[in-house]
Amino acid sequence: MTHPAAISEAIFGLSPLLVSLAIFVLTYAVIVTEKINRSVVALLGAGLMVLAGVLNQAEAFNGIDLNTISLLTGMMVIVAITQKSGVFQYVAVKAAKVVKADPWGLLVMLSVVTAVFSALLDNVTTVLLIAPVTLLITDALRISPYPYLFSVIFASNIGGTATLIGDPPNIMIGSAAKLTFNDFLFNLAPVAGLVMALTLIPIYLIWGRKLHASAEDRALVMAFNERESITDARLLKQALFVIALVIAGFVLAHSIGQEPGTIAMFGAALLLLLRVYDQQAEAQSHVIHRTFGEVEWITIFFFIGLFVVVAGIEKAGALEFMAQQIVVWTGGDFTVTAYVILWVSAVLSAVVDNIPFVATMIPVIQSMGSTFTPAQIETLWWSLSLGACLGGNGTLVGASANLVVAGFAERAGHPIRFLPFMLMAFPLMLASIAVSSVYLWLRYL
Amino acid sequence: MTLRAVPLLSEPTCLRPDSSLLEALHLMLDKGVNHLAVCDSGTWAGLLDINDILGELLPVSARGEHALQDLRFVGDGIPLIAMQLKKLANKKVSEVDLDDMPTLDEDTPLLEAALLLHRHGVPLPVLGADGKLKGMLSRRALLAHLISKTGS
Repeated sequence: MTHPAAISEAIFGLSPLLVSLAIFVLTYAVIVTEKINRSVVALLGAGLMVLAGVLNQAEAFNGIDLNTISLLTGMMVIVAITQKSGVFQYVAVKAAKVVKADPWGLLVMLSVVTAVFSALLDNVTTVLLIAPVTLLITDALRISPYPYLFSVIFASNIGGTATLIGDPPNIMIGSAAKLTFNDFLFNLAPVAGLVMALTLIPIYLIWGRKLHASAEDRALVMAFNERESITDARLLKQALFVIALVIAGFVLAHSIGQEPGTIAMFGAALLLLLRVYDQQAEAQSHVIHRTFGEVEWITIFFFIGLFVVVAGIEKAGALEFMAQQIVVWTGGDFTVTAYVILWVSAVLSAVVDNIPFVATMIPVIQSMGSTFTPAQIETLWWSLSLGACLGGNGTLVGASANLVVAGFAERAGHPIRFLPFMLMAFPLMLASIAVSSVYLWLRYL
Repeated sequence: MTLRAVPLLSEPTCLRPDSSLLEALHLMLDKGVNHLAVCDSGTWAGLLDINDILGELLPVSARGEHALQDLRFVGDGIPLIAMQLKKLANKKVSEVDLDDMPTLDEDTPLLEAALLLHRHGVPLPVLGADGKLKGMLSRRALLAHLISKTGS
């Protein structure tokens, strides 16, 4: 434990705890307002932690979880290259044709496809790939895209919960708690699948049973030729080979003694090599420059800044204190603690960005190691993950993917408004947390 | 030398912002032009490009950021295009995001006008001091003037 007193000197005559908390609160408050780009705010907060003397530069750099950063960046490079092959359109169109363009079957298939892609890619990328095809098919069927886009939002957040790489909170939790790809798959994929299936029931009752498309319009979709959507067969083969290798690497990471960050970054480098090895130097530079340009640097720098800000309050002892308070409030009762983390994470993640919340909660849970056994701490990680990932479904601002889908809906002339969405989504999100509570109770508590 | 010396395209056809895109399309086809000036009571409001109308015929999913990059798999898509064509009659010119372009005035130097025409690749409006459209300057009109003046 690092007690506040362990920091040698007061800063500007103030306690380091107070200074670090002030920087933390200010940073998070400005992030919530969304007035200034979140990566800039996080980097400024990180800079202030160092300039104010809460951390020195070495401590700040140590606070950055490079495993998380490498995993995110590596996967972004792999996805940026793979999406150009047209494989995602192929799968979405094929899914529509498997159910003969039946509107309800289509909704189920697109939800499942979104959930599976979200489990293997980040959610924003998934919805960026699925939403345009969804709009095209609903356009052709002359049906409202709203229920489909609503389901795509839910499926992306639910699918993302299922694996280590599905959602940034899981990447952070897995890296900090040394939980493997398989740990996430065995512990969270079953409940994610259950929540997805149960979520489709109210969606059917509200919209699904009323969806109807004419035989003529369905024939139009059935005439789509999904094979034509594969724009680069060579690229497709290269990408599928590397993705298979990377996923195998994630599954075997623990037994081969490697971290996911290394595997993702190596996979990205390998795919880049396959893309450019037979090209001239100038053409190589062009392809690589363009691919790196598609990495979401805003997200990466946001993470870097947040890691330093959280390292600041952690060093000052604020998170240790918070962990102790949670244990005091829950009376040291493990079950109550697990449920508090689950429900509070869900409600907060519905209204604020779950990334800073999880970044803050990770050291808090780590500090509970003196109160709970390692097995119990692992359960608390699942509570945090379920709450933070599923909570994103609660409102339109709960997850970045939700806003991306809303942007598509707006363009299509079927805007997803904040309040009507929340009135439907928040109760559904709470129901998913209730299902998760039962799951935790049956399996771990 | 400024634009004052250059003959503009005579009598520009001005579209009203409340004209429908279908009317605009018919006008473009009749006149054999790719651009039409949009004026609100004579005041310059923007330039409608035939490409804006073509864009309206594409499915929403193929427009804007992160849109579908390839539509080969859809086939000829005639029913989809027909559906969009019907919507042109109900969509006003004012609902289109008109091209944001620089405006010229009679005191704009010729070289600056040449630079702007080259960069934007469309005719540019020449406005009077009151903001009213005096005429459209095309690349062709400017080049013809330059050749006649330099005797090339």
